[in-house]
Amino acid sequence: MDFVTLGGNLFGTIPLGDIVLYVTPLNLFLFGVLIIFTLLIAISKTETQVEATLMKLSNTNVKVGKSEFKQRRFLAVICGIASAGAMITGDLFNFTLFMALIGILNIGIVSAVKQTTVLNSAYQYGLIAMMCSLPLFGGAAIILASTGTLSLFELSQLPPNPMVIFGAVLMLLGILGESGVAPFFASKAEMFRTPGSPFIVIIHLSSLFIIVRAVEILLLVLG
Amino acid sequence: MIFTPPYVPSEFIFMYMPAIYAGLIVGFIGSMAIAMKREELHILILTDLIGLAMIFVVSAVGTDLAEALILPGLVVELAETMAISEILISREMRKIDADPRRNLSKASSLFPQPFALNMEIMTTAPNFIALVLIGYGIFLTGFTGGAVAGGGIVLYALSKKARGMPVLVIDGIAGVSGISWCLWIIGFLLFFVAPNLWLISLFLAACGLLLKVASKVGLIGLLMREDIDKE
Repeated sequence: MDFVTLGGNLFGTIPLGDIVLYVTPLNLFLFGVLIIFTLLIAISKTETQVEATLMKLSNTNVKVGKSEFKQRRFLAVICGIASAGAMITGDLFNFTLFMALIGILNIGIVSAVKQTTVLNSAYQYGLIAMMCSLPLFGGAAIILASTGTLSLFELSQLPPNPMVIFGAVLMLLGILGESGVAPFFASKAEMFRTPGSPFIVIIHLSSLFIIVRAVEILLLVLG
Repeated sequence: MIFTPPYVPSEFIFMYMPAIYAGLIVGFIGSMAIAMKREELHILILTDLIGLAMIFVVSAVGTDLAEALILPGLVVELAETMAISEILISREMRKIDADPRRNLSKASSLFPQPFALNMEIMTTAPNFIALVLIGYGIFLTGFTGGAVAGGGIVLYALSKKARGMPVLVIDGIAGVSGISWCLWIIGFLLFFVAPNLWLISLFLAACGLLLKVASKVGLIGLLMREDIDKE
């Protein structure tokens, strides 16, 4: 499919050798929202959860320590920048790399929490993300092998052949696992049941946005 | 039906399908092993096997563009393994914090005995071999040259018995590593922005990568010596 059909008017392209970035309203909107959210995260403070104490009348505050807060904020900002990069990129392999980077950062954000259940589900999510790197990168490599290019600008103008469709199906499998939707959502939903809200939310937001972008890219490749 | 661009040599076309099948079969075997095993550390190691199958599939493409894709794929795979093992360590530490007596008796270390390297060859030969390796590495340049030169530095660091490296030296090596990383990135950017300056950007990238890898491997050697010499 043409990207004018998917993303609206083409504002222009930024040619960097083989890689051609293209700017459409859809990409620009996704990119802008993620940059604004990343800025909000960079200046915000973490929340404090209030939990009812068992068998007593008082409440307990669940706080996040200073070093843990700093580490989490750093990783969350990097995660936001990586998601914004995945929104604007015009290269298939860069998209998969940004996706894998987001997966690693998601694990990193929750790596220092104290709840063992959260760590357990992060471990399970990490295993799934690592296993899904085979279909993700493999699909991109098969598309490269059967068309000779990774540029989305070029891929959208080539007619699809069976190997491209096979590669796109493999990539879809990889995207499902790497962003933790549909069959694997349970572990990812468990990952943010911990204090430290604005930084934890980026885990959810990045996977939502990347799914939108992945659908656009798959339609471009298959169209 | 496979569409192949006309500039791919014909030898690679015959190797492509077997390599793809090999990658997918290795991935399948790895997934089956994960389904059978129930211990977490084993699952982590078996997951790395699937990562290697990913390298198979990517490298099956066999063009120089694919060669540029293998390196980031490998780095991502390593980073994911490290992140997951960090999660595992953190969880086990939380569990031990909650119940310190739980696995007190089962404690073990990588080197249960003091690890002393008192071999004659470690004191005489290494200076010469390290010099040759570093010279050959500088001659090679790039990633391979960095690895060779770094191997020379590791050999030298392992063989010398001087204790207590000053902090300034380790900081200095880390600084050289950072500056060379910047050189590499500048070379890479220049290659995209101004393609007619390809020679200078190639040299910037090659020398940056040489210094980068050499200093990284050398740092590993220094840290290892600090670790091993603790008796």
